[in-house]
Amino acid sequence: MKKIYQVAGHRFSVVMPDSHLAWGEMTPYEPFLVENDNDLAFSIEMVDALPDTSGKHKITVSCEAPDAPRIVLYDWNGIWLMEIAPTSEAPMRVCLLVDKAFKKAQFRVLGSLRFSIGTVMMLMFAFSTAQKSTLLMHSSVTVKDGKGYLFLGKSGTGKSTHSRLWIGNIPGCELLNDDNPVLRVMDDGEVRVYGSPWSGKTPCYRNLDYPVGAIVNLKQAKANTIRQLSLVEAYAAMYVSFSGYRFIKEMADGLHATNERIVTSVPCFGLDCLPNAEAAWLCYNNVSK
Amino acid sequence: MRTKKGFNLRTLGNEFVLTAEGLEVSDVNKMVSMNASAAFLWKEVEGKDFDAETLTGLLLGEYDIDREVAEKDAARLVRTWKEANIVEDY
Repeated sequence: MKKIYQVAGHRFSVVMPDSHLAWGEMTPYEPFLVENDNDLAFSIEMVDALPDTSGKHKITVSCEAPDAPRIVLYDWNGIWLMEIAPTSEAPMRVCLLVDKAFKKAQFRVLGSLRFSIGTVMMLMFAFSTAQKSTLLMHSSVTVKDGKGYLFLGKSGTGKSTHSRLWIGNIPGCELLNDDNPVLRVMDDGEVRVYGSPWSGKTPCYRNLDYPVGAIVNLKQAKANTIRQLSLVEAYAAMYVSFSGYRFIKEMADGLHATNERIVTSVPCFGLDCLPNAEAAWLCYNNVSK
Repeated sequence: MRTKKGFNLRTLGNEFVLTAEGLEVSDVNKMVSMNASAAFLWKEVEGKDFDAETLTGLLLGEYDIDREVAEKDAARLVRTWKEANIVEDY
């Protein structure tokens, strides 16, 4: 069975066996179903077996944090092989074979279906759109008065908590996405934020998009203070909030160009904060001007 | 000395940042911001053998300044780059 989805304007196809349990993991993607299969950003197929990849050559191991997924990347006969585990200690749960343009992929599930499908889709989406003015972010996004406000920060900083504080205290706020929204620079230069099928622990899979009001980098502190970030500070805060294989020059160039256009046109702030209502109000009053 | 491999000089509006993007520096978790003259020098010496005297010469060729000023700036920049660990002895 083949289904087509469209996230942030990028279409992709997913092929998996009819009535496979894996389709049960695709519920978050249902708001993103489309009919049109023209001009696909990528296509992905689940397979029972991958070719024998002996002779593969290890390129790099990426692991951004102890509790973040570990990805081992190999070159095998001119295509990429990725083996992915949910943490630095866990066994490999999924293998992915993909061409170097990240257009056509096959994956084989070794362990958890949920982890495998989520990870493979996100990787393919991020890598295949890296040169298309698109960033798959690690962020929580709240919408207020028709604009999206992105909260960035290291894992455990309180991005989701800050969204909940806006929603619980400031009238008219709603959550767009709690973990992995998509930022896109449009042809006319406008920066928009899109909901996605990936939202971390919060089930919030909304096929909606808004112009970006501001980007706020959060840090935990003993008191609430806010300031506008310099260009370089904003660039650096964004840089660690999306991923990609930056050693692949075209990908790094694409990500840089998008990041530069975003930080030179969207107001970016640094919020040192406590997890309280005062932090939400201080932030809102400054970033919504 | 030489510039370390794997760093990319990126333009950011009117500013410049050096980002660690190559596999050679995949363990480097920082970026270095540069002003226009530092960025100019980095581009000129990237991948080549150079020392403070090379930088002084480049500064004198590019800017209308005294040798004494150029030497001081070049020496300061070499110190900064060494501290930032973006150059290595060759």
